[in-house]
Amino acid sequence: MSAITATTQMSTPNREIDTRGNRRAKRRKRLSFIADHSLGIAVAIMFLAPFVFIVLQSFMTSEQALTGDLWPQSWHPSNYVDVFTKAPMLLYLRNTLLYATLATLFMLLSSIPAAYALSRLQWKGRNIAFVVVLMMMMLPPQVTQVPIYVMWTRLHLTGTLWPMILPNLLGDAFSIFLLRQFFLTIPQEYADAARVDGCSEWRVMTKVILPMAKPGIAATAMFMFFFCWNDFYGPTLYTSENPDSWTISLGLASFRNLYQVQWNLTMAATILAMLPVLIVFFLAQKVFVEGITLTGVKG
Amino acid sequence: MTIAVDARGAGQPSPALRAKRRRQRLTVLAFLTPWLLGVAIFFIYPLIDTVYLSFTRYDLLSPPKWIGLTNYRFMFTKDPQVVQAAYNTLWLVVILVTARVLFGLAVATLVTRLKSGLGLFRTVFYLPALVPPVAGVLAFVFLFNPATGPVNQILGALGLPQPLWFNDPSLSKPSLVMLGLWGVGDLMIIFLASLLDVPKEQYEAAALDGVNPWQRFRYVTLPNISPVLMFAAITGVIAALQYFTEAVVAASVASGQATTGGGNAALLGYPEGSTLTYAQWLYVMGFKNYYLGYASALAVVMFAVSLGVTLILLRRARSLVYGAEGTR
Amino acid sequence: MSIIRGRRRVLAIAAAAAGLALVATGCSSGSTDAGPAAISSAPAKLTGTVTFWHFFTDREAAAIQTAVDKFQAANPGVKVEVKKGQDDEKTIQAIASGQPIDVVLSYSTDQIGKFCSTGAWRDLSDYVKRDGVNLDQIPTVVRDYTQFEGKRCSMPMLSDTYGLYYNKKLLAEAGYSAPPKTMSEFSAMAEKLTKLDGNGAIQVAGFVPTFGFYENAPAHFAPSFGATWFNADGTSNIGSDPAWASMFTWQKKLVDFYGYDKLTRFTAGLGQEFSADNAFEKGKVAMMIDGEYRNAFIKAEAPNLEYGTAPFPTDDAKPDLYGAGYVTGNVIGIGRGSQNPEAAWALVKYLSTDTDSVVSVANGIKNVPTTTPALTSPALEKDANYQTFLDVFANANSTTTPTTASGKAYQDTLGTFAQNWQAGKVPDLAAGLKTVDQQINDQLALGSAP
Repeated sequence: MSAITATTQMSTPNREIDTRGNRRAKRRKRLSFIADHSLGIAVAIMFLAPFVFIVLQSFMTSEQALTGDLWPQSWHPSNYVDVFTKAPMLLYLRNTLLYATLATLFMLLSSIPAAYALSRLQWKGRNIAFVVVLMMMMLPPQVTQVPIYVMWTRLHLTGTLWPMILPNLLGDAFSIFLLRQFFLTIPQEYADAARVDGCSEWRVMTKVILPMAKPGIAATAMFMFFFCWNDFYGPTLYTSENPDSWTISLGLASFRNLYQVQWNLTMAATILAMLPVLIVFFLAQKVFVEGITLTGVKG
Repeated sequence: MTIAVDARGAGQPSPALRAKRRRQRLTVLAFLTPWLLGVAIFFIYPLIDTVYLSFTRYDLLSPPKWIGLTNYRFMFTKDPQVVQAAYNTLWLVVILVTARVLFGLAVATLVTRLKSGLGLFRTVFYLPALVPPVAGVLAFVFLFNPATGPVNQILGALGLPQPLWFNDPSLSKPSLVMLGLWGVGDLMIIFLASLLDVPKEQYEAAALDGVNPWQRFRYVTLPNISPVLMFAAITGVIAALQYFTEAVVAASVASGQATTGGGNAALLGYPEGSTLTYAQWLYVMGFKNYYLGYASALAVVMFAVSLGVTLILLRRARSLVYGAEGTR
Repeated sequence: MSIIRGRRRVLAIAAAAAGLALVATGCSSGSTDAGPAAISSAPAKLTGTVTFWHFFTDREAAAIQTAVDKFQAANPGVKVEVKKGQDDEKTIQAIASGQPIDVVLSYSTDQIGKFCSTGAWRDLSDYVKRDGVNLDQIPTVVRDYTQFEGKRCSMPMLSDTYGLYYNKKLLAEAGYSAPPKTMSEFSAMAEKLTKLDGNGAIQVAGFVPTFGFYENAPAHFAPSFGATWFNADGTSNIGSDPAWASMFTWQKKLVDFYGYDKLTRFTAGLGQEFSADNAFEKGKVAMMIDGEYRNAFIKAEAPNLEYGTAPFPTDDAKPDLYGAGYVTGNVIGIGRGSQNPEAAWALVKYLSTDTDSVVSVANGIKNVPTTTPALTSPALEKDANYQTFLDVFANANSTTTPTTASGKAYQDTLGTFAQNWQAGKVPDLAAGLKTVDQQINDQLALGSAP
């Protein structure tokens, strides 16, 4: 394979010793290739197993779902259609998309400059500010929501998605933390060089640092997006009184009656809810690859 | 631009330098303003409110009534559940966070060494982290059902003992750790991003120096990924201190009363209180029994502990915090 | 399933009415005022909108809607806006933040103490008196769980009753033709009905005694032992009432017969309570305690099961309790911020006392109706197995769990004790129960006036 041919092309003066060394290297490379891939496959199977179970459940009847049977006795792809007729899934999808996209956008707008200031600028109190960011994550949300909910009630925004979207205009502690860490991994020389050239901080940030931090920014944005997508408690708190604003996660919990949950439909809806984010993730990976190329240019 | 060798003497900046500093301060302020507002509204305000409420008796439907230290006295002397809850939570902090960081790093390293099918593997490893929590926990617990689940059936076929997993008080928390490892995809992604960011020339230099893999990890990889490692550790600890949903759903499924959406298991911490977490106890006291003042006191204590642990982590890993370039 | 985001995933469902003390005073809903008194006579014609929040969804919500539609037909000037799927937490948060909800239907009686004592649900006594609503048509036990300390802030709306389900086929195979009536009969039958497999593991259990399994809870067994939770002064009576010791002793004896570990392994492998895999429906458990709703499930999921129902057996020392059982139910009331209390009261009165309405909703949801005329109505759908529960409901000795100002915290405390007890971690039962008393009293003190 390519690795082996590459090694044989590296010729050095002392051929005898190096041939043995090359052969050992070849064998090692082959073994490690197999080892890595089989390990990867084994781990992948373990990771996939519960997911496969969810898919199988989604084809079962309501009676059979959650009986502990692994294989459907009869196949009901109609469950996927029922999901749309029993609940307005398209509406939920639209709401969820709105929430996730806007929240992520706002988060990036507010958190990137803050993270940048925390990592790449020198100023007094920087460390304290960083600890405050951390502290913001430490207060359990049940208790922070207590007075905040009242505030939103006074603004007459409960029953809508805005209480969950708007706060991101004022930064998101988790994202700021993550972005800061990513920015820290970029050597100072690049920023310094730009500053010496007379760039303002804004230009330094946007033209020099951001392109280099793309994998980190992509990861942060993705986290935010997926978090909003699966967020259950924010929508429960703020939109449960208004079914027109429900998101997919609330919709998932709606396939139930007084005593029973229709797990087959819930699982089918779960799969449907996951598909968009899966696709987004699969496509967003490309940004990682671009990031690799850019870092290769470093130095 | 002069680099400040200033003839005016120590501590006497030139007007140009002062202007520059002012401009820099303004820039910092501009970058931070949205976040500062967020701190005031979404942090300081609720924090003060919570601390105030912790000294009151408050049931949401009547005004809060000041009762001084009663809540704290109850918490520290009369509440057996909070002891169990605190123990369970601290157990999870130590074991769950460590396990996830190590495993996440291992999987990320595995992915970097894959030569083909990268995109597919990455997606598969990240998949569990995308599954909505209730469905995911449910499926996972079902696979570990002691009688009908495939895990025990395979163990049985191999002649190995079949543990009770989520139904065994001594295995329920380790089972939750396994659940957490299954969902390690989110950590894997950021570890992967930072592993890929390690400058190639450092690896090349190390290879020329002839270091072994462990040394290469210790002296090249680790310093470069340390900010992200620190991030994973701190956010992991904070999340573990607030661990709630997975424990509740797992307990409800294991005890035979599966439910959706945050659940209301009739049994706290099934089995035998082993999965009762601090956040769950806070929720039950605050929002099921409506002792909101007491819940606020629990929250204040949780906040203090989180702060303490985080500061310790930060101090011990000073160099890690500031990245590969050493202390600043 | 990102654990990193755990902080937000924690349930964050309550709202503060008052918020910060500084801000509190201006806020609308901090008062305990129960609203203006009822006007002196019912208005001739009702108008306006009534917002109605309830817990039901899906099929059950449809049954409620039918009743609401009939009410609207009878009162053309009133429009009822229904919000389904709202549980106690959501309604409390809404009321606390000042939302003007008119009618609330709560799924459980847990919060009645709180609703009544804080005035979150209005006092209905004036309305009841004015309109001459006959409370005698409601059994005592139901009247008990719809009021708190003399304040009647709710009316009952359908009930759940508990009794014994037994597998006729399994009983016949073991030579039994009738269900047990006393605890010693019950234990003996349970032991005889148990089948073990070759390795000594349980294959079929006569009765699973562990607390926490399906509907096994101290509260559900309490009426069979005549156990009382509280003294007249509101302190916990668990340590003093010998009935509790009786119950726990009986239970542990049965647990030890099976072996606690064997029981755990057995129950861990059983199906979910509300799935088609239910252990009783699958014949893995010969007898169990459950509510009247189980009949509907058996009909749908295991129609060939030969089973019978009967009141749950009683303590040997108290045979006259036989026929009693645990009763609980839904309750309906008027929110304190209601803008249209007269129409709200009309809807409450209609849903809780209009016999035709009660019967039709009972038939739709398959719960026990809560008024005597509805119970005895020929329109009520029932069969022999269902009749058992109607009888238990009407039995004078049936009891419910008492309402307190702090919900069901006391039940949770006893539940935790029960978990430790059956695992063999409590060496001294009497001392343990006294500790439970202490814990319950401490908890109540935390929430009540010093």
